[in-house]
Amino acid sequence: MAGLDDVLARHRVVICAGSGGVGKTTTAAALAVRAALAGRRTLVMTIDPAKRLADALGIRGLGTISSAVPVDDVPHGYLSAMMLDQKGAWDALVERHAPSPDIRDRILQNRFYQHLSQSFAGSQEYMAIEQLCEVHASGAYDLIVVDTPPTRHALDFLEAPQRIADFLDKRVVKWFVKPYFSAGWATMRFVNRTVGFLFKRLEDATGITALVEVSEFFTSMSGLFEEFEPRVRRVEALLRSPQTAFVLVATPEEQVLREAEYFCGRVRELGVPLRAVVFNRTHRELATARDAREPEAVRALLARLLGARDGATELAENFVRYEALGRGDGLRMEAFRRALPRGAAVAEVPNFHTDVHSVADLRTMHQFLFAA
Amino acid sequence: MSAARPPRAIDPTGLLDRRLVIVAGKGGVGKTTVACGLGLVAAQAGKRVLVVEVDGAGRAAVLLGVEPAPIGEARPIRPGLAAMSLEGSAALAEYLQSVVPVKRVLKAVFESRIYQYFVAAAPGLKELMTVGKIWFEAERTDDGRRRWDLVIFDAPATGHGLQYLRMPLAARAAFGAGLVARESERLVERLRDPRRTAISLVTTAEEMPVNETVEMYRQVRDDLRMPLGPLFVNRLHRARFDAADLDGLRQQATRLRDARDRRVVAEVVQRADEELGWSRINDAYLRRLRAEVPVPHVELPFLFAEEFGVQEVERLAGTIAAAVQRDTGAGRRTDSHGRA
Repeated sequence: MAGLDDVLARHRVVICAGSGGVGKTTTAAALAVRAALAGRRTLVMTIDPAKRLADALGIRGLGTISSAVPVDDVPHGYLSAMMLDQKGAWDALVERHAPSPDIRDRILQNRFYQHLSQSFAGSQEYMAIEQLCEVHASGAYDLIVVDTPPTRHALDFLEAPQRIADFLDKRVVKWFVKPYFSAGWATMRFVNRTVGFLFKRLEDATGITALVEVSEFFTSMSGLFEEFEPRVRRVEALLRSPQTAFVLVATPEEQVLREAEYFCGRVRELGVPLRAVVFNRTHRELATARDAREPEAVRALLARLLGARDGATELAENFVRYEALGRGDGLRMEAFRRALPRGAAVAEVPNFHTDVHSVADLRTMHQFLFAA
Repeated sequence: MSAARPPRAIDPTGLLDRRLVIVAGKGGVGKTTVACGLGLVAAQAGKRVLVVEVDGAGRAAVLLGVEPAPIGEARPIRPGLAAMSLEGSAALAEYLQSVVPVKRVLKAVFESRIYQYFVAAAPGLKELMTVGKIWFEAERTDDGRRRWDLVIFDAPATGHGLQYLRMPLAARAAFGAGLVARESERLVERLRDPRRTAISLVTTAEEMPVNETVEMYRQVRDDLRMPLGPLFVNRLHRARFDAADLDGLRQQATRLRDARDRRVVAEVVQRADEELGWSRINDAYLRRLRAEVPVPHVELPFLFAEEFGVQEVERLAGTIAAAVQRDTGAGRRTDSHGRA
């Protein structure tokens, strides 16, 4: 079975996906450090690192590619980091395509635009992939490791391109562009008499004059969405390319694994290659000796050693409790592994009782991520 | 800044007397567990309680060992306790149907692509309607009798959760006159009323969750200006031995002749180290929370279970009960150590 080292060696883009709070950012950073140590020019694109990890990676501002981090034993310049700037990427797109500063400002202040760029499901994910495409096309790196936005569902990242393409479908968008809309509601009836009438009622009743804003937005941006579909196709092609690997990051908790299972199923349907799973914060049973699994035996042994001194009972009890935790984690991870596609690498990182925020800490993770 | 002072934090013992308790926090800290724990406590005290969530996964029902109900339906879990999943689009459609009463034809609207744009162009309309629906449940009556004494909203993870709560405010500003603006006004008034609403944050005592919690606390206090309930600090490790005990064990272990015994002791030491490490991390971040989130704290222990299920939620409900129930006398703030 291939290990994570092979996954890094055989791909040019590695995307870390998973639900919130499972350690995606740290995992992405650790993978990138490993590739840099192996002599590949590596970029890690990250979302929201803890401040000290950001400092360790040399990340200062949003969006820009930060100065390469010095990693011991590797020639300087092999590891760079950048922070994905989700809102800024939309603004950049507008600035690039708006025909005049006046129109640019109108778009940036448009409510529909603000919703689209900030909270339309998948739009932040989509912009993250766009930035990835740009850096990838530049050819400046041998490997790009991507940390994905914290979403409730890890899948948002995969489905974002299609969702946004559907939304900005030019056949629909053209309804909103002059002369139909700006000419007033009468033209709406040209599209569909009943629907047009009802929307008028809806706007009157609710006090929301929303569609005017939509119309204005699309009228100003009409040039951009002409070429939107080919862009989405390019983005999708990169996600499905044999150069790209998905790494699912999870913890062995029931709820996280339920979502991870769903993710694996959808990944298969979408035809995206899932190459590895990283379990973070895991526990395993330690006791190898059979009678060490008996709380009483451990208690007796410690009592023999420590006599009536403080702590014997508590230390034994603590051991037994962690063993129960390890048993549960182990069973859940085994069950999960059995359902994985053949050939997917699996790594387990134990629950560190320290924060991970330096390049040295990330290297400590390597012994677990890349265990033989 | 307006001159009005931010509302005072609600005492834990009064928390369950609100109509609506919102449970919010970063992803993965145990919001659903706390929401269900609060639900169990209130139901045991004789209230009729509804736990509401919005992402459609039915997590509260699953956690309490029950199959989730379809969107918008209450699933009874225990006597006095039910769970419901809401979905923004359904709530919005329901609302619009009440506004434009041509029901059959309105279906054509919902199915049209233009409707998607309409929703997208009216920022937060779905979230607004969801909050409206939650309040509808909180105030719903059957034959003059309230259906629920308490609604607990298990809010989505931080960013998205606050978005829900911010919407009525944003909508009030954005939509000028009209029905939606009036609806928003009504919701803002309820969400800010400390007699009716409390928002309780949940966190673990670790770096990233604490950073987010401090940030969230400030936003709730200064921007949303909603009444804050107690902060639930979940998954606390509290070693009941100290480094000296561990050193003692290490020393004694050198006397062991049997290789297998030595291995067992080494394993015991390893686990004890882990527990001490987590206890130290938790202690440090608890201190930071006490300094930077000055509301009463309810501390919940990390539970060592092979599987986290109904029993574990019930155990936590016991700890929550001690903190939020008046008659136990046990507790306002659980500053005490060593609760199992």
